[in-house]
Amino acid sequence: MPVRTILQFPHPLLKKMCRRVERIDSEILELVADLLDTMRSGPGSVGVAAPQIGASLRLCVVDVSMSKLGRESNHGLLVLINPEILLGEGSATMREGCMSIPDYTGDVERSTLIRLSYTDAHGEQQELESMGFEAVAIQHEMDHLDGVLFLDRIASLKSGLFRRKRYR
Amino acid sequence: MIKPHFAVTVISKDRPGIVADTAEVLLRLGCNVEDSSCTMLGGDFAMILTVSHPKPFPKSRLVDEFRHLHESAGLVAHIRSLSEEEIKLSPPAGELCLISVYGADRPGIVYRVTRELADRRVSITDLNTRLVGTETEPLYVMMLEAYLPEGMSVEDAELLLAGLRGELNVEIGVRAINPVSL
Repeated sequence: MPVRTILQFPHPLLKKMCRRVERIDSEILELVADLLDTMRSGPGSVGVAAPQIGASLRLCVVDVSMSKLGRESNHGLLVLINPEILLGEGSATMREGCMSIPDYTGDVERSTLIRLSYTDAHGEQQELESMGFEAVAIQHEMDHLDGVLFLDRIASLKSGLFRRKRYR
Repeated sequence: MIKPHFAVTVISKDRPGIVADTAEVLLRLGCNVEDSSCTMLGGDFAMILTVSHPKPFPKSRLVDEFRHLHESAGLVAHIRSLSEEEIKLSPPAGELCLISVYGADRPGIVYRVTRELADRRVSITDLNTRLVGTETEPLYVMMLEAYLPEGMSVEDAELLLAGLRGELNVEIGVRAINPVSL
């Protein structure tokens, strides 16, 4: 399973609405494996969306369990196929960066608690509630499926667009 | 060849069009705006930019063009050549945090806080101050972002500045920013 190159903006795929996954076949499972390998290969990476590795499909992976911010509250490894947010509550600002837009970070406001439905890698319909950093990561990755980048969501310029800040 | 780089500073009485006037000159000369930060300072609009040129380029051409702009549009600019050493970016090592300081205005707030930080090798990356409140009760607000040196925690930084609370009679807060890569 190869680690794939993360596409960087202005690659056109990153601004495209992805299409639904209709059937979980070997091709999709291979894509899931590639997403996982790619996520694990990036230092501190906690999620990758299919369009970031060149597949315009509604599929992303998230795992914040190894990160300092997500260690306390997480669902481990999540493979989210056709995910949908059913409910979002609260809001908090976090300084986000994205592997598809290197060397740039900005403050983005996201729901602090989300309720989510999705299909897992076995084709089972699932629902879960996520909060904190995991919820932020899920919302960020799901944005990719709609062709939305964190730059489209910068909340404030005053303390927002600071360049070249180090990630953790 | 290393591209020539220049620091351009413009501070002028605010009006619509300062950025466009400046950008027009730079475009005409073939200069590229690299990093820039522009904001209102009181009634002035202030721009600081680093610009580069793809080919060897004399500073005097920028100076001349901005002199014309001063005569025609009133903008006041300052140009400086940047050395190769200056344009290199050295990535910071420690934790990023936001430090807020506010209280009744008095001399020395900026100095005392930043001297304390500098002495411990805390590196400020962004800072702004505002004098607000009323004439009889002026309030001073300073917000800054800084990288702590390796080994210094946010709690250490808080402790380091705690003594200034009483001395300056200000509120001081230190919060981790925790940029996340997603």
